[in-house]
Amino acid sequence: MNTNLLLPHRFKVIGWWILIPAFGLGVLHSITEFEAEWLHARVFAFWSDNLFAQGHFFQRYETNITATIIGVVLVLGGLLVGFSREKVEDEYIANLRLTSLMWAVWVNYLLLLVALLFIWGLPFLTVMVYNMFTVLVIFIVRFNILLHRQPREIA
Amino acid sequence: MKNTLRVERAIHALTQEDLANRIAVSRQTIHAIEAGKYVPSTVLALKIARLFGKPVESIFMLEDGD
Repeated sequence: MNTNLLLPHRFKVIGWWILIPAFGLGVLHSITEFEAEWLHARVFAFWSDNLFAQGHFFQRYETNITATIIGVVLVLGGLLVGFSREKVEDEYIANLRLTSLMWAVWVNYLLLLVALLFIWGLPFLTVMVYNMFTVLVIFIVRFNILLHRQPREIA
Repeated sequence: MKNTLRVERAIHALTQEDLANRIAVSRQTIHAIEAGKYVPSTVLALKIARLFGKPVESIFMLEDGD
């Protein structure tokens, strides 16, 4: 694996501090769908629509950005945790990283196939929202479990 | 591929951690090699052999099916 694509190790710690709260907020948001009043904003959109017309390009758009902020922070935290070097980033760790990533893609798309076939209507939209984060989350969980599973040392 | 890494380590009274530090890899790597779950690169095998002062073939050997 090209280790040039990895960030320095210290970003992993920073990543955990971002990812864990963001994950908590994400779960909370998906349950309660809360929106912070002060996060109402006029944003710039490449592509947007509204109630009266659709298909606007490169225009201002007025909306609440609570979910957006949570999503952005979740992705950034996930990238930092998933793609920072370990303290000793050697060939075996790189191998573990790559196989975990492949495992995550497999699991993610198998789950998506099941969802495509058996989840219909509005709930499918919910699945798509989760699906934005599942590859990254599954990868991080898999990699860190394999990495930190304490091997018994028989002297 | 089989290896005698655990034996060599015992002879030299090194823990997995010690050995890992000597050849600048992670402890997990040493564990995985000893457990037969990971086949090291040629570079790493040569570094291990050099540390123990033995030819690579006396530490790493092919088995049936390799």
